[in-house]
Amino acid sequence: MRVRLIYSPEVVEKPVLAEIIAKTGLLINILEAKVNAQKGELVVSIPSTGKRLEEILAMFREAGVRVQKVTKVLQIDYDRCTSCGACISPCPTRALRFGPDWTLEFDEEKCVACRTCVNACPVKAITLL
Amino acid sequence: MKRSQREIRSVEEINEKIKRGDAVVLTAEEMIKLADSSGIKVAAKEVDVVTTGTFGAMCSSGVFLNFGHSDPPIKMTKCWLNDVPLYKGLAAVDGYLGATALSETQGFEYGGGHVIEDLVSGKEIELRAESYGTDCYPRRHIETVITIDDLNQAILVNPRNCYQKYDAATNSTDRVIYTYMGTLLPNYGNVSFSGAGQLNPLCKDWNYETIGIGTRIFLGGGVGYIIGEGTQHSPQSGFGTLMVRGDLKKMNSRYLRGASFYRYGVTLYVGVGIPIPIINENVASTAALRDDQITVNIRDYGVPSRPDLRPIVSRVTYADLRSGKVTIGDKEVPSSSLSSYKMAREISEVLKKWILEGRFFLTKPVEPLPRRREFKPLRIRRKELRVRDVMRREVITAKPDDEVKEVARKLVAKGIDHLPVIDRDGRLIGIVTSWDLAKAIANDRNVLSEIMTRKVITAREDESIDVVARRMAQHNISGLPVIDEAKQVSGIITTDDISRRLVGRRLTI
Ligand code: SF4
Ligand code: SF4
Repeated sequence: MRVRLIYSPEVVEKPVLAEIIAKTGLLINILEAKVNAQKGELVVSIPSTGKRLEEILAMFREAGVRVQKVTKVLQIDYDRCTSCGACISPCPTRALRFGPDWTLEFDEEKCVACRTCVNACPVKAITLL
Repeated sequence: MKRSQREIRSVEEINEKIKRGDAVVLTAEEMIKLADSSGIKVAAKEVDVVTTGTFGAMCSSGVFLNFGHSDPPIKMTKCWLNDVPLYKGLAAVDGYLGATALSETQGFEYGGGHVIEDLVSGKEIELRAESYGTDCYPRRHIETVITIDDLNQAILVNPRNCYQKYDAATNSTDRVIYTYMGTLLPNYGNVSFSGAGQLNPLCKDWNYETIGIGTRIFLGGGVGYIIGEGTQHSPQSGFGTLMVRGDLKKMNSRYLRGASFYRYGVTLYVGVGIPIPIINENVASTAALRDDQITVNIRDYGVPSRPDLRPIVSRVTYADLRSGKVTIGDKEVPSSSLSSYKMAREISEVLKKWILEGRFFLTKPVEPLPRRREFKPLRIRRKELRVRDVMRREVITAKPDDEVKEVARKLVAKGIDHLPVIDRDGRLIGIVTSWDLAKAIANDRNVLSEIMTRKVITAREDESIDVVARRMAQHNISGLPVIDEAKQVSGIITTDDISRRLVGRRLTI
């Protein structure tokens, strides 16, 4: 499950993520990070589901971190898409690529909903839901 | 490669075969396969025509329109289609709509390219026109709705299409830049390129032996013609271009797409396909050129210079670029295209089909295209203000371990706002402003290193004021340290300095 963690200024300097990793032993992977002195935003992938996932999300909330599930998704309008490729190399997670016949392919699992491709597409074929 | 070669077949002979239905037509990709497996000699002997294709953003595109006369008639002096202005320095109801013209209400979201696409798809378009009124053309305003069927003529005339190849782009700076080569991530984060390489028409007749004025082509899904060399045609260096025309009314919006480049502007994606008659072995061998034989430079678009002066950071082939990864220095960098290889392929297939079905015949050029052309930059004859003409040379600097209060006193005493922070060797490592200092004192911070901004936006002495002023506006800051190659601070330039210098004049002296 991909989750966006939003740190307020009060907690941004606390090692919340590290503590939860230490406590749960889960391999929480950081996909994207924007942190400065005022606030922080992480997109992480938590290898867990169901009740266990909810418990972990609760731990973040208790520590003062806001939690948003990244269910996205991105939609590609294949009537408009020309498979030009302008969205591919700017994507930070390599979620976009060409298939064998040079058609644009999208790997939902890798996407962190960062919008970079939405802006990069010259024909507005990508929308973020 | 030699130019004059023994002719294997003439265009007339090929057309006879097309009529009989027994011409051998291959797409450029198929030609490459055949040449690889059987050799050029065999390929040249067997193949009559090779079809090519390209589909990319072609900014120098546009359409001549004739609206017909209203009653009472108008001599339109200004005219808009869906709020996009046309060029009206023509007769009363003729106009030219350029692909990069921006909508006056939607900005980068919509422009000439989009209007062209909407016209071709048969959509209704709002027409607005103004005039001063004359005895023969008394009307002064028009507001109505048109479709492409209402127009007498809609003729696509593109002054520069179909670049033979195009240098790729990357970005060395530490911020994202948005260019006509797309989104370029910081620190060589990606490479963006354009062109169909081994499918690209002008790569397949590299020596212009068959392509010339009068060549019939696939243009935007319809039939078009080459009417001359394109602007900036520079064939000797592999950057040939074409000027083309075709009847927009017979085109297809699948192959003409309005496009917006984020924070750059609008344009038109154009599909072009050119048939190459294999008249001799020389043409056969260029028609069989592969992506790995076509090289381009990767240039640093982080340097705000004219395209041919942007530093070359790597030299690669289209095969490298299309593999999705290229190397710059010792770094592996993801690469992707702006033009569509898939569509280029489709166009070469469609053209092949047209020829095989006897619907499209080849032409012999009435005149060849020039094989040499000087490509000149625009010289600015008036002296332009550079940073060095405006900057202040006596710079007060500070050290990272200087005390906040001490430094604040210094700033107040000298009446300045920006203080570059340098290390022991005089290299710039940060900057503090009077605002930072005020905040620091309020928050009880003691030394500069705790509060200084480490990511400093800078200027160089030889940069034009125009570029530097834009940089300051973009980052919403009012002063930049001026540094040299070794990061030594040689001056400081502020918006105040610039405006003082520019009161009542332009950016030239
Ligand atoms: S939103 Fe687009 S650019 Fe961002 S991760 Fe998803 S696919 Fe990649
Ligand atoms: S940039 Fe847009 S048109 Fe090009 S491949 Fe991506 S989604 Fe398709």
